[in-house]
Order: sequence, then structure tokens, then C-alpha cells
Amino acid sequence: MRELLRRYQFLLLAIILLLITVILYSYNLRHKTATTFFERAILTFAAPFQVGVDGIVDNVTDVWGNYLWLVDAQKRNLELEQENLELHSQLQQVEEISLQNERLRKLLAFVDDLDRPALPAQVIGEDGSNWARTIIIDKGTRAGLYSGLAVVSAQGVVGRIMKTAPDSSRVLLITDASSALAALIQRTRTRGVARGLGAKLSIEYALRDSDIQIGDLLVTSGMGGVFPKGLPLGLVESVEKDQYGLFQQVTATPTTDFSHLEEVMVIVGEDQ
Amino acid sequence: MKGFFLFLFTGIVFALLQSSVLPLFFSPNWRPNLILILILYLGLSENLPRAIIASLLLGAIQDSLCGPNLGLYISVYLVIILATRVLSDQLNVESPPLLLLLIAGGTLLQNLLIGFYLTVFAATAPVLQILFPAIPQQIMTNVFFATILLFLLLRFQRLFGYRSGLAGLIYQSKHHGT
Repeated sequence: MRELLRRYQFLLLAIILLLITVILYSYNLRHKTATTFFERAILTFAAPFQVGVDGIVDNVTDVWGNYLWLVDAQKRNLELEQENLELHSQLQQVEEISLQNERLRKLLAFVDDLDRPALPAQVIGEDGSNWARTIIIDKGTRAGLYSGLAVVSAQGVVGRIMKTAPDSSRVLLITDASSALAALIQRTRTRGVARGLGAKLSIEYALRDSDIQIGDLLVTSGMGGVFPKGLPLGLVESVEKDQYGLFQQVTATPTTDFSHLEEVMVIVGEDQ
Repeated sequence: MKGFFLFLFTGIVFALLQSSVLPLFFSPNWRPNLILILILYLGLSENLPRAIIASLLLGAIQDSLCGPNLGLYISVYLVIILATRVLSDQLNVESPPLLLLLIAGGTLLQNLLIGFYLTVFAATAPVLQILFPAIPQQIMTNVFFATILLFLLLRFQRLFGYRSGLAGLIYQSKHHGT
């Protein structure tokens, strides 16, 4: 027996370890919204680095902008160059602030319409894989956030918080394949489930006879209680009907541009 | 032991880069998986117990920054480490082109395993529509970045004058399987 164990020790070790990891994964699938100590530690450790990178990128962009301007200005008088450089730098800062103000104003107006208290947050990181769609924001349990809260942008729904650390949280985007939320076509009130497809959304369980046109606005249905009713999700991009089958195949483009997401709002309260 | 901690530290840096710096320059399909490259290298250069422990830790770190659940990358990297170890017994892993081929194979295996786990255990079959079309881009980008990392590694070795050839692979010939 001992000889047999020694002979197959690699195989046995491999099988046992594999079983343990699969059980761990299955366990965590059941406890999706719970943030483990390890995850909290990694998120806490990563947050300052991600905030730092975010700041560095902003500064490098500014410096690069100034440098490009400087190359062009070399032909001019030195005094004028200096003065212009300062003015240009100030102007850039003002432009950046005004753009940020504009974005935040839109966000606030959007949240005002919701009639629910919301907390602004900055996007500081993205998912490291190519298949999952999550982002990291700079607010966490210290700001009162917890798993399950809805996250929106001025353009529409972003996703929901799934893991939290003291100063950061991970948000599952609506375009992630594991995200599914109740939705309806605004024009015809046709119901369906919006599931993430990476860059697009697929609207599942939309009945074959329902009237859905390209360009129709897809909004949240309010079912499930996470997202308020009527928030924009996407615009219908394609509609296909098979000869047979109960449902039609509908895809939509999200209204939120996830590649340029900088500020978001976390809806923290109930209907006022 | 020092080498083991260096691997872990490098893995943490790679994980942070993948979640904060690389998304600024690469779209998701063209974003390299630096941790996978490190795991494959680890499978060839470290002894089995250390390679397994490091892969479990690096998998947990990647799980904390990618995807929705803890455990997926832990399991996937464990399979990759074990497969690498089995393969390394049969192949001449000292050859850099072969190592790059191994990285292409590892990328393919990783995507297949993630697809399998997410479909069978998490019931998120739509992920296959995201995962599989991106495999060629993932292979190309991982091989490209592995080439750069290997080149840098060999340069550093020459600079410090030890372990000529592929870093760690001479170490492997001494400690492999222990």
C-alpha cells in the first residue's frame, strides 16, 4: 500500500489539491457578495497604488501636453513662450476642471432625477483579465458602501458593487457575462433579462411576438430592487427571429461608455 | 527561498500592473496576462512544492483583482503548474523558442480551463462568446510580452554574471521534482 502511495504520490497530490481548489471555488460561487479577508487585504493593498497610478497618468498627460506645446513654441520669442506656457498650463488646468465639473454636474443631475441619495466615486482600476468586466472605485466600507449597491454614470447603469474593502470596492459591470438584470424596452414595455456579453448586452427571454425595433431604448425594470426603475441600459442594436422558438435574439449597445469611465455615482439609499 | 519571494513580489507587481497600468494602453483582448507567464516560468524553474504554493498565492491575488469569485485562478493555475511540470520532463525546456511555444499552449489551456469552470460551475456560458474569439489575440500578446520578459531576463543574467542561459532552468536541472 505504502509502495503504491509512493508510486502515485504526484497524481494523488494533484487530485487532492485540485479537489480542494474546486471546492473553494464552488463555495465562493455560493457566497458571491461576501468579501473574504484575503480579498479585502489585496484590495486595501492595491488601492493606494491604483490611486497613485491614476494621479501619475493625469500628471504625465499634462506634462506631455505642455511638452508638445513647447516644441511648437520654440520658434517664438522666449518671453512670449514663457508667458504662453504659463497661460497654457493654467488654461489646461481650467479646462480639465471645467470638464470634470461638467461631468459631475451631469452625474448630479442624473442622480437628482433618481430622487435617491448617491455617493460620487472615482474609477481607479480595471479588471486584469480579458474576459471579466469589473472596475475598482476609490470608496469602500469607510464611506458606507456594501455589496449589492447600484452604480450609475451620467449615461446610465454601470453595474453593482460586489466586493468591498475599507477604501475601495470592486464593481461588477453590466457587460460582464455573469451579470444579469431585469430590463424592459422603454417604448413597448417588453420585458427581458439583460446579460453581459463583454462589449454588448444580450436581451434574453424577450418573447418572439414582442415589438422590438433597432434603436429602442432598454431601461431597468426595477425588479429585484437593486436598480431604480427606468435607468438607461442600452440601445437595441440587432433583432433576430428564428423560424421557430419562443424568444427572439436581441443585442444592445450599452449607453455607458465603459472605456472612458472616470467618475461614477453609487446609489446608497432607498427611494425618498 | 529568496528566489521564491522574488517570484511572489514580481507576481504582486504584475497583478497591480494588470489592474491599473495595462488597461490604460491595451483593450481587454490585447491585454497580456503577465502572471500566467510568471506561472509557466515558475513551473519550469522552481521545485514542485514551491511552485504549487506560489501558483496558489498568485492565483488568489489575481482572483482578488479579476473576475467575480475567489478560487477560479487558484484552480486554473494549479492545473497549469502541474501540466507544465509533467511536460517539462518530456521536453528540452532550455530552448527559448520552446518556452515561447509553451506560453502559447499555456494561454490556450488557461482560456479553455476558465471557459470550462465558468460554464460548468458558474453557469455563465455567455462568457465563452467573450473568451474564445479573443484566444488568438491573447496568444499573440502573451508570446510577445514573454519574449520581451525573456530578453530582459537574459540581459540581467549577463549583467550579474550568473545562471547563463535561461534563468532558473539550470536550477531546475538540479532541483527538479524535489
